Amino acid sequence: MPDNPNSLIPQVRYTIAVASGKGGVGKSTVAANLAVALHATGAAVGLMDTDVYGPSVPTLMGGNTAPHVIEGKIDPPVEFGIKIISMAYFLPKDEAIIWRGPMLHKTVRQFLGDVRWGELDYLVMDLPPGTGDIQLSLSQTILLTGAVIVSTPQDLALAVASKAIAMFRKLNVPILGIVENMSTFICPHCGEREDIFGHGGARQAAEEIAVPFLGEIPLNTAVRLASDSGRPIALDKNSPNGKAFREVAEALVEQVRLLSEQSAQGVKIQ
Amino acid sequence: MAPTPKSIKLAAGGNTLAVEWADGHVSRYPYQYLRSRCPCATCAGNARLPNAPVPGALPIFGVKPLAPARAELVGRYAVQIFWNDGHASGIYSFDYLRGLCPCDECAARTGK
Ligand SMILES: Nc1ncnc2c1ncn2[C@@H]1O[C@H](COP(=O)(O)OP(=O)(O)OP(=O)(O)O)[C@@H](O)[C@H]1O
Ligand SMILES: [Mg+2]
Ligand SMILES: [Zn+2]
Ligand SMILES: [Zn+2]
Repeated sequence: MPDNPNSLIPQVRYTIAVASGKGGVGKSTVAANLAVALHATGAAVGLMDTDVYGPSVPTLMGGNTAPHVIEGKIDPPVEFGIKIISMAYFLPKDEAIIWRGPMLHKTVRQFLGDVRWGELDYLVMDLPPGTGDIQLSLSQTILLTGAVIVSTPQDLALAVASKAIAMFRKLNVPILGIVENMSTFICPHCGEREDIFGHGGARQAAEEIAVPFLGEIPLNTAVRLASDSGRPIALDKNSPNGKAFREVAEALVEQVRLLSEQSAQGVKIQ
Repeated sequence: MAPTPKSIKLAAGGNTLAVEWADGHVSRYPYQYLRSRCPCATCAGNARLPNAPVPGALPIFGVKPLAPARAELVGRYAVQIFWNDGHASGIYSFDYLRGLCPCDECAARTGK
């Protein structure tokens, strides 16, 4: 009998990959803050750092508890109510590892199947940049609920985001939507908004390629400072960015709902 | 909007799988045709000739004739077909499936 691809994580309802066409656009920031914002809605949330080359989730989420390995299963650390796993917990510091395809694949499987995730509503996955082995491995190992594409305004214009979208479409992974990160600049001194890359471009680009637009996250030093101190900004409900992340999370929940409703509507298979 | 099926009949007679689409169109896919167009990373990576049998799906005596054992929906996008030869990693998006429709009307439209 063939393996059901989701048998590795039978207690996880929705798996959401956070991806981008290129590096440094804020995937990890968005993944961590979405996890926090989803958790704030009362959902059980896990956060999986699949970026084995540059794992950053443990830094973003603070804390320094290492995972316990009990009976061959990994107990993930919990920060702000979110279960976390990352390669950073297992890598010797300052040591570069050359990852090969099969090794990546095995790690991805272990992060899914050998971690005691328990019952989760959402497992948010932070992906490495681009369209490489991890992306492929992940979509072959489980049936992802969908992907969230993070893009900066200038990349949308340059169609970098569409490369990632094209890859997921090819892998038959639904695109849950685009998040525009670092959009409006909010001046840390006066709180004034300023559009450095133009405004509304992402929304329009998303419409053109028929992908839901989940919202925009302003460029704000407070985001980086919060991340660097290990307390994602989404924990701060009243900050403009905290609010923005919560709105994106709401839009995401709605897309997930639409998706599962449509599939539950049921194509009859006889 | 991507095409959506109303129903998928795994055994529609004459070794075919039939899909009735929401727009009323009915597509009939011979099993071998569908299996040889498996979009999974393993299969799709190998260059294929149209209708060329897939490795492991050769009609050898004593081997069960190829058929889908079952199928499962994947999100709203696709159907995963579990072939009786053990191969199950093929997730056929509805888009892809509709594009594969071998009927004359569709063939004329896509120029295949
Ligand atoms: N909206 C924002 N405002 C200000 N700074 C931000 C914002 N989003 C992300 N940053 C900062 O930009 C830098 C890159 O973000 P992040 O590490 O999340 O990107 P990434 O896409 O995960 O990168 P990589 O491709 O290397 O994994 C970090 O220093 C982060 O704090
Ligand atoms: Mg990152
Ligand atoms: Zn295949
Ligand atoms: Zn047709």
